[in-house]
Order: sequence, then structure tokens, then C-alpha cells
Amino acid sequence: MLEDELSVSIREREGVAIIDLIGDVTTFAEEKINSAYAQVTSGGAKRILLNFRQNDYINSAGIAILIGVVTEVNRNNQKLAVSGLSQHFQKIFRMVGLAQYIDIYQDEDEAVKGFATAAA
Amino acid sequence: MTSANSDAEIPERVIELRLPSRLGYEKVAMDAASSLAKRMGFNGERIEALRTALAEAVTNAIEHGNAHDSAMKVLVMLTVRPDELSVTVADQGRKQLDQDQTTLTPSLEETFEKQDKGGWGIWLIRELMDEVEFSTGPSGGNQVRMVIHLEK
Amino acid sequence: MSTPAQQPSIELYFPSELGYEKVARDAVAAFARRVGFEQERIEDLKTALGEACINAIEHGNAQAPGLRIAVSCVCEDERLTVEIQDDGLKHYNGHHVPVPIESKLRGLAPLRGMGLMMISALVDEAGFTDSPTGGNVFRLALYRRRPVAAQ
Repeated sequence: MLEDELSVSIREREGVAIIDLIGDVTTFAEEKINSAYAQVTSGGAKRILLNFRQNDYINSAGIAILIGVVTEVNRNNQKLAVSGLSQHFQKIFRMVGLAQYIDIYQDEDEAVKGFATAAA
Repeated sequence: MTSANSDAEIPERVIELRLPSRLGYEKVAMDAASSLAKRMGFNGERIEALRTALAEAVTNAIEHGNAHDSAMKVLVMLTVRPDELSVTVADQGRKQLDQDQTTLTPSLEETFEKQDKGGWGIWLIRELMDEVEFSTGPSGGNQVRMVIHLEK
Repeated sequence: MSTPAQQPSIELYFPSELGYEKVARDAVAAFARRVGFEQERIEDLKTALGEACINAIEHGNAQAPGLRIAVSCVCEDERLTVEIQDDGLKHYNGHHVPVPIESKLRGLAPLRGMGLMMISALVDEAGFTDSPTGGNVFRLALYRRRPVAAQ
């Protein structure tokens, strides 16, 4: 009776495939996140941004899903970044070791700029 | 416990909270209730209304029912059903709420005259919630049950 | 020692189902705020508590339906203690070796299982304690100021 917490949408901006994650990222997010990733990958995306919005809760199951995405990103020679995380969750990402594999930006604009700079 | 459709198996989930009888702890009930209501799909306005009504009910329990006695607890029960959220607040006190007080509508002019500017809490609960019921709780104290209906 | 008035506490009981831990997080956060803990410590507590509840739901209660989780919090001056108790369908004490992310990325280890590591990194004391009534009891403690040693 508690509603499914996450809605996922895909868009593109300046050569970056942006996956908006709106809501909580827990075990229930697995299918949505994985299929969004599969969709942008089959579209040929090389630069992917996970943009977190209205997020108050990411648990270790959610992080496991993201680690799964990173595994694929490494395999497919893509570049992954995240934006919109609170300071607390940026800390969590660093704590579990994800910061070595994912660039962490404050917001979408910073991320898009960061991707452009890295490509140059 | 029972509802109109008692022949159907209506699933429900209950969350129970026990709070100290001191002001400020009503926030714990309010945040628990809004967390639940948000997950159930209630809109922002209904959630705000629930927060306000619950704040009044818990504050009443602390101030009047339990008379700020820190040994007593305020019991809050939140029942999740497919189309409604029901919240019950009970104190453990001995001071029974006068039933007349639960139905009167305060007047602003009279309130200006009075020393005690209170008395609006119960009225507010009735205005904001879809169903309200005052009764005696299981431990003999006051109990108020309020319900908001989920519109899908 | 401290009287009940100086040691405010709350108890919370919720269904042992994934998703309901969010209500526990928000209730305990409100309590921690009321007793004056700082926002950053409260965020740490919320995350640690969420993980502990999920362990209780998935392991201690073996995801069986119809069960409850009990959470109690007490504030004693400088320290806030939270206990999470399940019905103990399965004895769970979480002994396992933390796995580096590299192993997970290489497919050498399961992706999940980071909860206890996260809890230990976020709060000041964490571990299972004995329960007189049966069930697994996990205890977290948080000091107002993070002890300097734990960096």
C-alpha cells in the first residue's frame, strides 16, 4: 500500500544522456534504472548523467543497483556522472568507493560542463 | 477496527508510536504521519492538514490529558488502508475531556475576551479531517481518531 | 542518575515490510532534532537506521509477512541510543567480511551486503546485543559530537 517511489525519465542535452531519477532509490528501483540504462546504451550513449531529484533516501540496495550500472559502464567504455545528490549522499557514495568510478557534480549544469571539459 | 465492508478482507498496516508527554515531541508524530501519507499518495495540502490536526491532538494529549506528566506517554496509532489513513491519539491521563467541548465552535469575539486564547484545537481538527471521533481510550484516557480519505 | 524526564525516549512499532523503514527514519530524525542533534548527524543516523531496519526485515524476520519491527530511542545528554528489534525468525548477527567495491565491479562478489559497513562508518557505536525476549536486537549509538578518534 506504499506507492512505488521512483519515477525515471530520459532526455538528452549537449551530447549527454540524462537519466532523471525522481524519488527514492531502493531495491524497488532496480528494473527502472536498469532499463533506462539499457535504453540510453542501445541509443549509443557514451556520456551518461544520473540526475537525482526530490531524493531523500538512497539505501545500500539502491547503491548496489548503481554499482551494477558502473560495471556495465566500465564494460561499455562509457562515462558516468551523478548530480543532484545531497551532501550526505555524496559522502555515502565516497564511502562505498563509487567516487573513483563516477564523477560527482552538484547539479546538472555543472555536470554537462564537466563532461564537455573532459572531452576536450 | 471494523469498517462498512466487513465481509471483505481489507488489508491494513498499523504503525504505533509512543511519545513523551512534553511539548515538541508532537513533531515526531507529525513527521511519521507525513512520511506515511506521502508514501500513500496523499497530496501536499492533505498532508499539511494532517500535520496540523495531529499537532493539535498530540498537544492536547500532552497538556490536558497527561497534564505534562513526563511519566505518561502519548500513544499514536497510524492505520494504513487502501483508501484511507486513520490516526488515533490517546493519552494515559485521568482528566476526561468534557464531551461538550468536543463539539462547540469557538467564536473569535469571545476569544478576544477570554484570558485563555485556546479552544480552537478541537475545532481545527474537525475542520481539517474527513472523519473525527472523540472517545475514551483503552487505558482510560482521552482518545481522538481522525481519518483522511485517499482520492485517486 | 538521570530521571525519565531527563532521558526522553520514544518507541515505534511498524510492519516488517520493505518501505516502512522510511517512517522509522523520519520519526527518529524528528526525535533527534527535538533533542538538539545537528543536521549532519541526523542524516547519518537516518541512513544507518534505515539499513538496520532493512537487515531486520530481510534477515532477522526472513521477510516473513505479518511481523513487526520495534525501534526504541533514548537520549541521555550527549548520546542518543537506538535499538532495532525483530521477531528473530532467523538468528542474524551479521558476521561477514566487508568486500571492496573492486570485487563487486569484477563480478567476484555480490553487489549487496554493504549495510553493516555503512552503519559502522556513520554512527559511533553499532552492534548486536542480547535480547531477553528473543529476536535480534541491533543497537546504534550516536554522540552529539563525533568522537575525534573515529575519523
